[in-house]
Amino acid sequence: MRWSRVRAVAKKEMLELRRDPILLRVIRVLPVAMLLLFGYAVNFNLKHIPLALLDRADDRISRTLVRELEKDDKFEVVARAESEEELKRLIDRQQARVGLVVPAGLLERIRAGKGVRLRALVDGSDPTFAFQVQVGLQKAVGRLNARLVAARMLAGEAQPLPLALEPELLYNPEANTAAFMVPGIVGIILTQIAVILTGLAIVREKETRMLESLIATPVRPGELVVGKVLPYLVIAFADTLLVLWVGYVVFAVPMRGSLVLLLLLIFLFVLGSLAVGIVVSARARTQIQAIFGTLVYYLPSIFLSGLFFPIEGMPRVLQAVTYLIPLRYFLEAARGVMLRGVGLDVLYAPFAALVVFTALMLALATMSFRKRLL
Amino acid sequence: MSGDRTKVRAKGLERRFGHLLAVAGVSFEVYEGEVFGLLGPNGAGKTTLVRMLSGVLTPTTGDATVDGASVVREPERVKARIGYATQEASVYPFLTVRENLEFRAAMYLEGPPALDAVEDALARFDLGGVADRRAGELSGGWRQRLSLAQAVVHRPRVAFLDEPTTGLDPLARRAVWDLVYAEAARGMSALVTTHYMDEAERCHRVGLIYGGRRVALGTPQELKAAVAARYRFYRVPGADPADWRGRAGVVDAWQRGGAVRIVLEPDAPAPANATPEEPTMEDVFVLKIREEDAHALV
Repeated sequence: MRWSRVRAVAKKEMLELRRDPILLRVIRVLPVAMLLLFGYAVNFNLKHIPLALLDRADDRISRTLVRELEKDDKFEVVARAESEEELKRLIDRQQARVGLVVPAGLLERIRAGKGVRLRALVDGSDPTFAFQVQVGLQKAVGRLNARLVAARMLAGEAQPLPLALEPELLYNPEANTAAFMVPGIVGIILTQIAVILTGLAIVREKETRMLESLIATPVRPGELVVGKVLPYLVIAFADTLLVLWVGYVVFAVPMRGSLVLLLLLIFLFVLGSLAVGIVVSARARTQIQAIFGTLVYYLPSIFLSGLFFPIEGMPRVLQAVTYLIPLRYFLEAARGVMLRGVGLDVLYAPFAALVVFTALMLALATMSFRKRLL
Repeated sequence: MSGDRTKVRAKGLERRFGHLLAVAGVSFEVYEGEVFGLLGPNGAGKTTLVRMLSGVLTPTTGDATVDGASVVREPERVKARIGYATQEASVYPFLTVRENLEFRAAMYLEGPPALDAVEDALARFDLGGVADRRAGELSGGWRQRLSLAQAVVHRPRVAFLDEPTTGLDPLARRAVWDLVYAEAARGMSALVTTHYMDEAERCHRVGLIYGGRRVALGTPQELKAAVAARYRFYRVPGADPADWRGRAGVVDAWQRGGAVRIVLEPDAPAPANATPEEPTMEDVFVLKIREEDAHALV
């Protein structure tokens, strides 16, 4: 390996990149844009859920219930219906996603010590959404129940409820979606930049017929590969730091563990991803082929890594497949370091898996890059 | 390999792509300081041949030594000793002329010798004035000039130049040939492919490639003399070559300016008011290919 050749290849790649008007902007803007997009748009913590109310009681209790529903901006009473038909119509037209029916004589029946059933119509077309709505309704009703019981206890009319659950959220107490997403976004960005840009970088030489001139020189495959990969390693690192910083400033994403360990993790993952890019580009002949080739790697990575969908919820077969997805290990380790602040003693398994993945890919990349045309 | 004046020695080079026989058992030699022309129509196998000689394509059978190194057994040694200019001028458009040269030089040399080589190439190829222009902004002729300069920036003993003049205007073509001869004058051997007949006349020796086979080899004079021995060439006034084709003793006839050029069998009588002419490389080319096709039919 002659360093001067590696340096020349890397310098050339950097110059091309710097003077390419589109690519440079993509590299600068894309990661932060993705972070903001995911941070704000992919929010599993719903607020301002539009609720239509059919309040047949209209007494002190029903008004308290509305206050409990609107607490923390969880629900917003957007309409008051006069009949169940109207309630249904409001949900049909998506003006409200929940309809709540409060029966007449609420106060009287509670005073009389009778149970009351509150009917709630929930738009169940999106299961995640429906689940959140149910949880929100139960919480509000639970709080109201507790107050009613407390009031009747003062009057000596009731006993406290036998069991009360008090869940305490660790690591991410506000259920801040961004905190959970940022490690994943770092993973996605690294995958994208590393795999796609590296893949394109080599195929571009093929497509513009430059590769033939290049392989007719004494340059060694290793020198070419390292020289090509170095600039993207630097860029991927810079982008990662940028995303971590924006995540910290804008979304208050915590960094509880060792930054050095996180950077080591990122380095490992980037190196492996770069190697994947080279493997793809060694087989693709055009940039379009390379893009589709990287998608074959990229899309399963995103869906099977546990970034959006918990691995625990997947069928057995798919769960087994996730063990082949390097992003899975990266996420496991990155969330561990950033959110839980744990170290290698806990995260040795995902780290070891990434070492194996990276070593395998580097070997494959070197083997697949030959200096012959056919 | 000192003292060996044969810089390229191709021995039965052959290359198949599936069922297609792109190059069929081609042998020839190129000597030190020689400009050797590989002449042939598009698809004749010129580029495949050059790729095998440059070590980027493995021959199916046969071998070649380039400056003493075998293209089959030691392609990387071959690559270190040659310069190769691909068919399309291979320059990075976003890089300046100087950066392109620096990049190529760094593949062969390092440190001060690499820098010197770049300055030297800028001077030899008269590229100093455009050194800081981006290669993508250059005209075709200047881009080709840069492509040549890149191929020989490290002063190789042998250079393979694949169609360096295709698509250039006559002045730019002449400039390219002058540059090739300037390099040859300092001892470099150049193998240049072309499908321009007149360019073959500029070479020391010419190999004619057709259908993947070498169908003629020699100096332009030798090739023309060989044709002159077997055919006679005349110019007759008129404007209808079709009139002549198919007549007894007439091999071929085509319009040239205000007259018709006819090629006759040696024993055919010369027509009235016909002016004898010398054969050109175009005649060599056309007649050799005609003979090849006739053989192929038999």
